[in-house]
Amino acid sequence: MAGISFKNVEKTYENGVTVIKDLNLDINDKEFVVLVGPSGCGKSTTLRMIAGLESVTAGELYIGDRLINAVPPKDRDIAMVFQNYALYPHMSVYKNMAFALTLLKEKKDVIDEKVHEAAKILGLEEYLDRKPKALSGGQRQRVALGRAMVRNPSVFLLDEPLSNLDAKLRTEMRSQISKLHQRLGTTFVYVTHDQVEAMTMGDRICVMNAGVIQQFDTPQVLYDQPKNLFVAGFIGSPQMNFIDAVVEKEGDGYALKFDQTTISVNRSELADYVGKTVVVGVRPEDLHMEKEYFKGGNTIKTLVDLDEMMGSETLLYLAYEDAKIIAKVPSPCPVHTGDEVELAINTDRIHVFDKETEEAIFN
Amino acid sequence: MEVKTSKVRTVIAYIVLLILTFLCLFFFYILIINSTRSHAQIQQGFSAIPGKSFFINLKHVLHDANIPVLSGIKNSLIVSTGAAILATYFSAMTAYGLYAYSFKFRKAAFIFIMLILVMPTQVSALGFMRLMDNMHLLNTLWPLILPSVAAPAVFYFMYSYMQSSLPMELVEAARIDGCSEFRTFNRIVLPIMKPAIAVQAIFTFVMAWNNYFIPALIISENKKKTLPILIAALRSADFLKFDMGKVYMLITIAIVPIIIVYILLSRFIVAGVALGGVKE
Ligand SMILES: Nc1ncnc2c1ncn2[C@@H]1O[C@H](COP(=O)(O)OP(=O)(O)OP(=O)(O)O)[C@@H](O)[C@H]1O
Ligand SMILES: [Mg+2]
Repeated sequence: MAGISFKNVEKTYENGVTVIKDLNLDINDKEFVVLVGPSGCGKSTTLRMIAGLESVTAGELYIGDRLINAVPPKDRDIAMVFQNYALYPHMSVYKNMAFALTLLKEKKDVIDEKVHEAAKILGLEEYLDRKPKALSGGQRQRVALGRAMVRNPSVFLLDEPLSNLDAKLRTEMRSQISKLHQRLGTTFVYVTHDQVEAMTMGDRICVMNAGVIQQFDTPQVLYDQPKNLFVAGFIGSPQMNFIDAVVEKEGDGYALKFDQTTISVNRSELADYVGKTVVVGVRPEDLHMEKEYFKGGNTIKTLVDLDEMMGSETLLYLAYEDAKIIAKVPSPCPVHTGDEVELAINTDRIHVFDKETEEAIFN
Repeated sequence: MEVKTSKVRTVIAYIVLLILTFLCLFFFYILIINSTRSHAQIQQGFSAIPGKSFFINLKHVLHDANIPVLSGIKNSLIVSTGAAILATYFSAMTAYGLYAYSFKFRKAAFIFIMLILVMPTQVSALGFMRLMDNMHLLNTLWPLILPSVAAPAVFYFMYSYMQSSLPMELVEAARIDGCSEFRTFNRIVLPIMKPAIAVQAIFTFVMAWNNYFIPALIISENKKKTLPILIAALRSADFLKFDMGKVYMLITIAIVPIIIVYILLSRFIVAGVALGGVKE
């Protein structure tokens, strides 16, 4: 049992800055949770509080049923992988991995077995005698993972472990870490600002901004039903398009109007917004050139600013009023930079947000 | 043209360096040459050729009952080694304390240590001597060794080195690995500090080795004297017995251990011990 619970946790640094205000978060046992958010939003701070490297200013922090506010890191049964590896430079790979076990006064052959097992899983066997200096970035990061693995902790903490690696290696390590999670069956808390990592690895993703949790849910729910503008804009790449629209009554239902476009929707949530401006969110892949999506009025007609062929898909950057709109259409794309294009919005998949509170009205 | 000027530059640089090297080593040369010449020969003036009195001088030095050279070497070694170990270990520890922990009076502590740095020894020497007298430590080696525990200059060097070479992440990793604070210092921090420790150990050793002022105040017993006191005693010996060959021989003897220590420790003065542990 090693879930993690934050109960009204607050963190104020010595310089008086309150980075985390009233954090409530429940991470289940054996879950892979990703903390994601823009730089400086307090992800590392949150992770470091779990690790015990930062004190908790107020509130309660539990691992399992145990209140750990005052428990030193070494007694928390956790392991951590740092962004910059943090390997002991004067020790060989073997000693780096064995260090924690030697401190526990484990028997030599037990240590040997565990280190070799971890090295085997991570493909590090031939490097055991080397110093970190003589390893590549990816190998160093694997050593850091191995060092955490051998201890068999109940919680695994990872702070942007892949951000120093190149794109290919990152993809490879991503699946390796996911596999590691399945194999170990322990709780993983993973910090990143890369939303691809978040989406692919997390059982649940906790989106943070300015020290406040915006939404904590599965990747699919975050993608389909973002709670507010921040989450909608943060999750998904390229990001969701946002267009201001006015709500009007239209027969039994309502219509969202902007420029030449009218989107008919039958949602009672809009009742209070008639005559007001709301924000319509449309994902790039919900803009279509195929005729079956054209229902009259639900289209936008504009010039292509730039077309980017990405392989199976093409991104069209559209010059539309003052909003920048990106559409993701299948390749090959018949239109190019400078051409005029008409795209239909898939009205079943639009998101509407309150312009003031930025909360979702419906998804 | 470019190539020519750079060649001229190289030649000039080499000439300057050669002159400097010569100036540095010339005195050692004179010293060693003179230690092989008799008093009479030395008084005749400078000579580049070694004399034949090396063993005679050596015998005179070793057999002078007033100048216990062997115990002098032993005392000097004890004092200098002790001072080097204490100064480097405890300064590194102090520096680590101020570097790795944040506590209320951290800044004040730092300033206080820096203030000690600018305080000349002469100011506190008399008080120190009386204190040692009261503690019955005169004529022992302790007063020459123990004060090295507080070495502000060494501390400052260690502190700067930590700022450039000791990432806090390593310390944090050790804490998570279950290392106690004291052990983290000994097992993780000290090995990374090796180059700084080697540099400061050499400095402290040489300084303690050459120190005359404090030992002269504390030590009056022949058996406890360190080499600098013995050399001074030899030089101020009465005119009839005065032997320059002996003086030079003793100084030569005094220099050898320093050279050995330097050679032993300089191996550790390599850049980049911390390299590879974290991504810069
Ligand atoms: N030791 C500290 N003292 C004071 N403020 C700090 C300290 N550490 C972090 N902060 C501040 O706390 C805020 C959150 O920092 P944190 O490192 O948790 O961000 P993050 O979400 O991990 O960002 P990044 O993605 O850049 O790593 C930042 O504004 C930062 O300036
Ligand atoms: Mg961070």
